[in-house]
Amino acid sequence: MRRTRVAARSSGQPRAVLGFVMALPPLLLIAVFAGLPIVLAVGYSLGHTGGLNSVTASYAQHQHVATSGWGTFAAYREMLATGRFRTDVAVTVLVTLLSTAVVLVLALGIALNLRLRGGRVAGAIAALGVIPLFIPVVIASWAILTFYSTDGFIRSVFAQVGLDAPALGFKVVTIVIGSVWTSLPFAVLMVSSGIQSVPDAVIDAARDSGAGLLRTTRSVILPMAFIPIVIATTFTAIGVLGSFTVPYFTGPNSPRMLGVDIQNYFAAYNQPQQAIVIAVTIFVLASGIAVLYIWANFRSANSKDL
Amino acid sequence: MRPTVTHTPSTTTPAGAAFSPPAAADAALVLQGLNKELGGRPIVTDLDLAVARGELVCLLGPSGCGKTTTLRMVAGFLAPDRGAIVVDGKDVTGLPPERRPSAMVFQSYALWPHMTVFKNVAFPLRLKGVGKAQIAERVEAALELVNLTHHMGSRPGRISGGEQQRVALARALVQEPALLLLDEPLSNLDARLRVKVREEIREIQQRLGITTLLVTHDQDEALSVSDRIAVMNDGRIEQVSAPTQLYAEPETEFVATFVGSLNRVSGTFSDGGFVPGPEVTAVRPEDISLHDHPGSATFPVRVDRVVPHGSFIEVVLSGEGQTLRAFRSGTVPVVGSQVHARVERSMAFVDGRRVS
Repeated sequence: MRRTRVAARSSGQPRAVLGFVMALPPLLLIAVFAGLPIVLAVGYSLGHTGGLNSVTASYAQHQHVATSGWGTFAAYREMLATGRFRTDVAVTVLVTLLSTAVVLVLALGIALNLRLRGGRVAGAIAALGVIPLFIPVVIASWAILTFYSTDGFIRSVFAQVGLDAPALGFKVVTIVIGSVWTSLPFAVLMVSSGIQSVPDAVIDAARDSGAGLLRTTRSVILPMAFIPIVIATTFTAIGVLGSFTVPYFTGPNSPRMLGVDIQNYFAAYNQPQQAIVIAVTIFVLASGIAVLYIWANFRSANSKDL
Repeated sequence: MRPTVTHTPSTTTPAGAAFSPPAAADAALVLQGLNKELGGRPIVTDLDLAVARGELVCLLGPSGCGKTTTLRMVAGFLAPDRGAIVVDGKDVTGLPPERRPSAMVFQSYALWPHMTVFKNVAFPLRLKGVGKAQIAERVEAALELVNLTHHMGSRPGRISGGEQQRVALARALVQEPALLLLDEPLSNLDARLRVKVREEIREIQQRLGITTLLVTHDQDEALSVSDRIAVMNDGRIEQVSAPTQLYAEPETEFVATFVGSLNRVSGTFSDGGFVPGPEVTAVRPEDISLHDHPGSATFPVRVDRVVPHGSFIEVVLSGEGQTLRAFRSGTVPVVGSQVHARVERSMAFVDGRRVS
C-alpha cells in the first residue's frame, strides 16, 4: 500500500511539471504581450518616463514626470480637473447605460416572443435581429449616419410631404442607435438561447399553478434564464463602453465618448500619458461591469454543481 | 389494420367494485367526443370518458396512443379540435390552464430550480392571493402529507428524484384541485422507488378522496393503483374496466395483448389437440396446466426452455406446431422432457373483438 502511494507520488510529480510546462506558452504570451504593456502604461501614467517608457516619453507632449519613488497622480488630477473630460465620462456612462437598456429590452422582447408565441413571424424577427452581425461596423455606422443625418433618408422622406423630421446625425442619440444596432445580434443570440433552454414543462407547471403569461415570465422564465441575460448585459455594456467606430463616425465633436478621446489624445494631441489616464478610467468602469460577469459565472458554476 | 372499438363507458365493472361508471351528470370529469389532430395526423379520436368523484382512472396505452395528448387537453395545454371537457359540471374546454380547477404532476416533475421546496409549493397559493400565514400553514400540511417537511428550505436540485416527485405532488395537492392529473409521474424513478412512491400516491389519493386521472404506459402501475383503467390504442379508448376485470375479461385482442402476458394462436384448442382456423385463440400463461400423464383434453408438448422469474417459473413449450408459454410454481420441469398440457381457460377473438 505504502509502496503504491510512493510510486503514485513519484509518477505524479513529473506529470504536474509537464502540465505546468504545457500551460506555460499561453501564460507567457499574456504576461509578455498584455501584462507587461499594461504595467508599463500604468507606470507611465504615474510619471515613470524612464526605461522602456523612454521612447514614448521622448516625443510625448505635456507629460507629468514622477518626483517620488511610486510616482505622481498629476496626470490624473489634470484630467479630472478638465470639465470636458468629466462631461465625456458622463456621456460615455450615459450612452452605455441607455444602449444596454435598449438592447436588453429588445433582445428580451424578441426572445420571449419566440419562446412563448413562436411561429414564423417571431422566427423572422429573431433572424432579422441577428443580421447586423454580418454587416461591418464601419459600414453600419455610415449607413446610420446617412439615414438619420440632416440630409439623410428620414428627413428627405418627411420633406416630400412637407414635414420637418428631427436631424439625428452627429448626436449622442445617434451613438445610442449605432450601439444598439451593433450590440443587438449577440444579445439576441445569448438571451434567446437562455430563454429557449427553459424547459416547456416548467412553463406549463407555472401556468397550471395559475400564473398568466406575464407572471410566468417574471417568476419562472426570467429567473431561470438569469445567468445568460446577465452575461449578455455585461458583454453589451463593456462593448459599448469601449467602443470607438460608432461614436467616432456618428457622434458629435463635443461631448465625445472616451474611446474617441483616447484616439485624439494619443494621436491628434500627442499626449499619450493623458490617453493612458482615459484608458485606465475606462478599465475601472469596465471592472465594475466585469464583477457582475464574474458573479454570474460563479453562480452558474454553483448551480451546475447541484 | 387493427379494428377500432367505439367506447361507451364500460359495462364490465365487476359487482362490488369501488367505482362504477358514473352517470355523466354525477361525474367529476366528463370527456365528450374529444378529437385532436397534430401535424395532420389524428392523435385522439372520438374519446368519451366519465370519471366519478374520488375515483382514480388510469389512461394506459403504448407510446403514441394519445394518452398524454388527452391529459394535456384536460389540463388546458392543448385545445381539442372537437368535443368538450366538463369538470364538476362546468364546461372548461375554452379555459386556459391557469383558470382550470385541475393541477398536474409532470413526468419531469417540472419544479422551479431557483425556488426552494417551500416556495415551489407556495407558488400556486401566492398566485391565488392567499395570506402569508395561511400559505405557511397549507404548505407545511402539504409537505407533511408527502413526508418532506425537513426539506422545506432545500432547492430541488439538492434532493433525490423520489423526493422531487413528492414535492411536485405536494405542489399539486396544495391547490386542493377538483381534479389531479398525473403524467407518467413515476417513469423517471428506479424500479424499487417506483413501487414505493406509487403506493404513497394511491394512499394519499384515497385519503383525500381526490378525483385523479393518471397517464402511464406501465401496466403494473396501472393495475396496482387504479380504480378503473382506460386502455387506449390509436387515439381511441378500447376498454374501461376495473383492473381485475380488465385482465380477466379483455374486450378486444389489443387489450388482452397489452395487459399481461398472452399466448396467441390462429385456431382453436379442442379435446386433445389444436385445430388451425381463422379465429384467434388467446390463452393466459397461467391458464395452461402441465401434467406428467395424459388426461382429459390434454395434448403432448415438449419443454423447450425454463425461465425462472423468482416467485414463478415460465415454461416455454412446443407442440401441435405451436410455441406456448406457461407459468407455474413448484417443481421445475426438465428441459427436453415430454409433458401434457391442458388449456384451462381461453378467449377467442375475431377481427380483434372478443367472441367468447
